[in-house]
Amino acid sequence: MRITTVRIITQTAVVAIFLTFVFVTTLSHLEAMPALKFWVSKFLEIDPLVGIATAIATHTVYKGLLWSLLLLIPTLFLGRFFCNWICPYGIMHQFVGWVFNTRNAKQRIESNRYRRIFALKYYILIGMIVAAVFGSLQVGLLDPICLLHRSFTASLLPAMNMPDAVAGRWGDPKMHQLGWVIGFLLLFLVSMNLVIPRFFCRVLCPLGATLGVLSRFSLWRIERDPNKCIDCDLCLQSCEGACDPHTQLRKSECFVCFNCIEDCPHDALSFSLLPKRHHEVAWPDVPRRRAIYAAVVGVLFYPFAKLSGRTTRDFSTKVVRPPGSVEEIEFLERCIKCDQCIRVCPTNVLQPAMFEAGLEGLWTPVMNFRMGSCQLNCTACGQVCPTGAIQRLSIEEKLGLAPYEAQGPVKLGTAHYDHGRCLPWSKNIPCVVCEEVCPTSPKAIHSEYMQLLVRDGKKLVRSATATTLTLAEYPAPGTTISDLCSFRPGEYRGDQTTSYHVHIIHRDGTSETHRILGNDGDTLMIGELDPADGEVLVGSAFSRIPARDAVAAVHLEFKVPKIDTELCIGCGQCEMECPVVGDRRAVYVTPDGETRSQNDPHRDRNRSLLLLRSADASDGPHIDLRKWLA
Amino acid sequence: MASSKQATGERPAGDQAAAGTPHRTWTRRDLLVRGGQTVAVAGAAVAAGWYLHDPVGDAGLQPPEPIRLKDYFAAVDFPAAAPRISAAYGKPELIDDLEHVRRMTVAALGGLDGQGIARFVSRGDVVMVKPNVGFDRGPQLGATTNPQVVRAVIQLCREAGASKVIVADNPIENPPACFAKSGIKEAAEAEGATVVIHASTHDRPVEVRPGSPDPARGEALSTWPIFWMPLREADKVIGIPAVKDHNLCHASAGLKNWYGLLGGRRNQFHQAIHHIISDLGYMMKPTLMVMDGTRVMMKNGPTGGRLDDIRVGGVTGRPAVVASVDQLACDSWCVQNLLGRDLAAVSYLDLAFQKFGHDPTRLVVHHWQEYRQQGKVVEETIEG
Repeated sequence: MRITTVRIITQTAVVAIFLTFVFVTTLSHLEAMPALKFWVSKFLEIDPLVGIATAIATHTVYKGLLWSLLLLIPTLFLGRFFCNWICPYGIMHQFVGWVFNTRNAKQRIESNRYRRIFALKYYILIGMIVAAVFGSLQVGLLDPICLLHRSFTASLLPAMNMPDAVAGRWGDPKMHQLGWVIGFLLLFLVSMNLVIPRFFCRVLCPLGATLGVLSRFSLWRIERDPNKCIDCDLCLQSCEGACDPHTQLRKSECFVCFNCIEDCPHDALSFSLLPKRHHEVAWPDVPRRRAIYAAVVGVLFYPFAKLSGRTTRDFSTKVVRPPGSVEEIEFLERCIKCDQCIRVCPTNVLQPAMFEAGLEGLWTPVMNFRMGSCQLNCTACGQVCPTGAIQRLSIEEKLGLAPYEAQGPVKLGTAHYDHGRCLPWSKNIPCVVCEEVCPTSPKAIHSEYMQLLVRDGKKLVRSATATTLTLAEYPAPGTTISDLCSFRPGEYRGDQTTSYHVHIIHRDGTSETHRILGNDGDTLMIGELDPADGEVLVGSAFSRIPARDAVAAVHLEFKVPKIDTELCIGCGQCEMECPVVGDRRAVYVTPDGETRSQNDPHRDRNRSLLLLRSADASDGPHIDLRKWLA
Repeated sequence: MASSKQATGERPAGDQAAAGTPHRTWTRRDLLVRGGQTVAVAGAAVAAGWYLHDPVGDAGLQPPEPIRLKDYFAAVDFPAAAPRISAAYGKPELIDDLEHVRRMTVAALGGLDGQGIARFVSRGDVVMVKPNVGFDRGPQLGATTNPQVVRAVIQLCREAGASKVIVADNPIENPPACFAKSGIKEAAEAEGATVVIHASTHDRPVEVRPGSPDPARGEALSTWPIFWMPLREADKVIGIPAVKDHNLCHASAGLKNWYGLLGGRRNQFHQAIHHIISDLGYMMKPTLMVMDGTRVMMKNGPTGGRLDDIRVGGVTGRPAVVASVDQLACDSWCVQNLLGRDLAAVSYLDLAFQKFGHDPTRLVVHHWQEYRQQGKVVEETIEG
């Protein structure tokens, strides 16, 4: 079998595996087959750029990232074969370039010659690595695996789910804030193949640049035999990498696609072990001064990003991170913006951020509780996170069940009421949906009965008996004339969730309050009857008959909600279901009180709300930064 | 290259002339073809404009015609003298045992009528089963209907010859997760029932009552988006609610269970919760109610979340499955006998009786005690 046939079979299989992983990255699949947790982020874990850059930023190699050695070591022997054999994004570009090709053979030869602009990816890589040294991980913006996962999550898969949801097989398709930006970016990069073949791979890809640098050490490479070569340049007509196989091979650019060997009519090309050194260009075409310039950009990126204050003092109330996330600055050292957490989230609450988390936080996951809420019994986001930005929590750890009772549940933040918008608090409208849906037990949202004066509720007593009260309007200032009230029949009957009460202030200043049972025109009825004997219950009638012109105030009694800060875990179910659906709900969650930052000694990084009970932070929350900051 | 192709005569003569020579000659044939095309396009534009024209300007804004729900009880020939509420008590330790729960369900249905399920479900019927799947919680927390009760009811429907059983609910939390965690998806699929997961495209406006509602009479809804997809083909509807405490309306049982059929902005309903719940009873005439009184949530409802919040069998301590043809009286039975609540605190029961208590097409009384006086409440205890 021809080697290029082997390559095409491999590429097909790799793409099939990648798409399978993307499709099964859902909570229901992971619950049905827990072994999938090991696999679904595997393409990210074998990505050496992710491994190297997170190692530089965090000084550790998180769990599965050790798998990147699986790719790194063969690259040191064989060169940049990943780009044309394994990278699903590269394969997609090759496929699109092939299907939509309009160039003839001659034009293709010209389009596959090396150009200076192909060195851009090395400058991008240098800038990103330098930023990572300072602790800002930006490789995910352009890393092809992260970029492809993110594009599937935020734009392609939801688009494919639309007809599926209409057919009723699944719920509504997921929505992602500014997902179209991610979608059109993908379309743009793919479309660029029509201008420059493999545009992304040759010009932008920082992973390709990493592998290009590593290829310098490779033992095998494409070798041209100048004695057989007739300089026809036909080797260029299908060259994927634009690596100049017709002259000195640029090792850092070659994708090891083997097309040139196949296209050579004189068998001048071969894949050889340790060929002559003067036949190759071993290093990327990167002048030192320009490399230094790229490094300077990377150095400046860090202060530019950090001094916006978004990660510290000017932390946005919108940046509520998923459960198990590490403290924000450490989070930005780890998150590669692959958005696997967003893909797996069953409720759609996780969203790719724009700039609310600062420049560095672009496309990192934040919670938008207008889209969904964090489900109690779910820690899927941490299970698929390849870099530990979101730690792997058990349900017990998330909820603070045994053996984690002492540290309590993981709080994402705390809910607050906007009293100006809340229906009971500001508008005398009964509601408390928030209490109904609050999932903690006991509920963090509780409601208390409060009596609030109804509109124009202040009246004057015209006449009264022990159980009735006829009222007149309270006279306007400066007048003494008042008309009898004209209530609608049953206006003040109320029901079991809301009841009306009349508050009487006797002329001597003493007062009493009674529930209104109903009204007949301007006359209010009070005085509950004992169901046993039909007598008026003691205490429910007026203790003294109100005198004419005593003040009577009609109150509505109903439940108003409050939040028990200690019990609230910031899951956002209340915000999700709040009927006040403006740009800001009447109850909303902010990161105040989040578990992940409450042990941070830095004043601007600590977003705790309550004084820590325990003097010893080690039995506090599960993420103890103090230990290694000390 | 392009010109060489044309020169070989692949294109019609007119085009060749256009490409090759500056002076183009129109033939009669060209004129007829081109003129015909122009007239056809112009005619199509006029026809489409005429057809779509909206002279008043609001035709495109008219809401779709609301749907009226069927009377799902109409086809049931229920004997007037038969019991209306039938409770079967089981063993607390066996409430997760399908065989035992099935016996409880069979006994409860048998208490209503000797024919059991066959009285309600006929051969070939499509049955829509509405359990409470409101929350992403395991069955042991009692926030959702016991999956064994759901499974027993589906089994019985199947045995009575139902051609299709649909299980549907529109939960508060993520629908697929709620169906999975509650065990109801597994129970339904084990019996070959179809689970319909809610999507907003499944909702259609349904007429709750003709005309506008009168708030003074406790009416709130006229037309509202309802989870229509599962109801569309249903011949029979069986409610299988969980009996629970509720923070706002004090008790959640059969009438409150229809809340799960609502789409739209249903989070506004808490502003008039009793009105809405009784309206739902007015809208829906179910074939049968099978109340799950196995795990009763006594406090912190309707979400619960701790084992402390539930009590097996409620205040009786004996797990019960209660079957009834009267959705109002069996709610009052469950609220009083399982939750141990004062019926006066649950206003929606009174409102519901005001709204449909006098409807001759329904079997409804205000209070289960009326049935007791008529000897229409039967209870049975299942041993081991």
